[in-house]
Amino acid sequence: MPDIELTTLRWAPPAFQGQVRDLSVRWALEEAGLPYRVRQVSDEERRSPAFRARQPFGQIPVYREDGIEIFESGAIVLYIAERHGLLPRDPAARERAKAWMFAALNSLDPDIIALGDIDHFAADAAWARERRPALAAGLLERLRSVAARLEHDHLVGEFSAADITLTMVLRALRHTDLVSSVPTLAAYRDRCEARPAFRRALAAQMAAFASPDSKLPAGDPP
Amino acid sequence: MTQITLTTFQWVPPFAQGLVRDLRVRWALEEAGLPYREKLLTPGEQNTPAYRALQPFGQVPVFEQDGLVMFESGAILMHIAEQSPALLPADAAGRSRVRTWMFAALNSVEPHVQNLVGIDLFHAAEEWAKARRPAAEKFAVARLDAVAAALGDREYLVDSFTVADLLMTTVLRFLRHSTLVEQHPVLGPYKARCEARPAFQRALAAQMANFVKYAPAA
Repeated sequence: MPDIELTTLRWAPPAFQGQVRDLSVRWALEEAGLPYRVRQVSDEERRSPAFRARQPFGQIPVYREDGIEIFESGAIVLYIAERHGLLPRDPAARERAKAWMFAALNSLDPDIIALGDIDHFAADAAWARERRPALAAGLLERLRSVAARLEHDHLVGEFSAADITLTMVLRALRHTDLVSSVPTLAAYRDRCEARPAFRRALAAQMAAFASPDSKLPAGDPP
Repeated sequence: MTQITLTTFQWVPPFAQGLVRDLRVRWALEEAGLPYREKLLTPGEQNTPAYRALQPFGQVPVFEQDGLVMFESGAILMHIAEQSPALLPADAAGRSRVRTWMFAALNSVEPHVQNLVGIDLFHAAEEWAKARRPAAEKFAVARLDAVAAALGDREYLVDSFTVADLLMTTVLRFLRHSTLVEQHPVLGPYKARCEARPAFQRALAAQMANFVKYAPAA
């Protein structure tokens, strides 16, 4: 068994609990059946020069497996997936799954991040009210394009790391009706989130936030 | 010899010329010494069902190699890099660091860069954009400074030049309408160093050549 340590936040505001980006890593590890240790950092600690030397943007998660340390949840999930069987074996399907991982993180996530910035931090600002409709409409079109490409139950044949990455990105829209307005995509997300490995990963993230030593004040959200 | 075809736009408006995402793929192929053919989309072809079957969002590029068809430039770069020691180190630790920086360029830097680009290039006259711009610039600059701090006084993100530098450079190029990168003490020289590579120059020339050839009549 590899020695795995996952670094994440000690606490996050309630709106972000259940979608902090260590969740996709926990989920991949649960799917692969790999145990891991968790190291929690405070909001102050993640902004420190020492932490930034490990993670230049002061973000979490950071992942360490047998002496190799990496950051960026997308890179971590891919690393786990390649080594521990969460990608299709067929070479063409494997590349297609990777393409969908990048699509989730680079063709969907930027607008999802922008929408989250509006809804969580600027909902009442005049600029946000003016900006939001077009942003949401563009995003909905992208979501419909993804839904049109689902191969049966998953993105590429069997369940893979691509489904972990996409489901994770879609979770940041939980406070909106965008995903539920695309029924095939909503059903897909529900199917992925019904997996026992996802339930365990989510429970682990929520439990970490609920523990007594996590009740610390936070500054800006992650 | 492997057979590679790169699909991209025949022509784009000047604001996008030199920034279209086939540039990073052309650059990677040039660094790897892999010849390729072009397939150019006629206007509107990106929205046809046939093309959408290859690229779900109607974007470019699409990459084909010996029957394998791929979309998303980040995934394509990773696929090319795995075939070339010029783009990816041989050791496992170095490879994982390069891949980490590829995701950082696309998921931690580019979203904030694109947010600012969208404001400046597509919405500059709108009230919301004027109100939002100062904060959007602040967020983008914070990410740029974090990349610069990670670079420190090194020439490249991971030891020697890799596909991570190639990708980061193409993300930094999106800000060419501003002085944020050009005047940055670390990122300005870094970007210039990467763009001085002959492979980049060939890739840029190849992209621009089509836009001259297929320029719409005035």
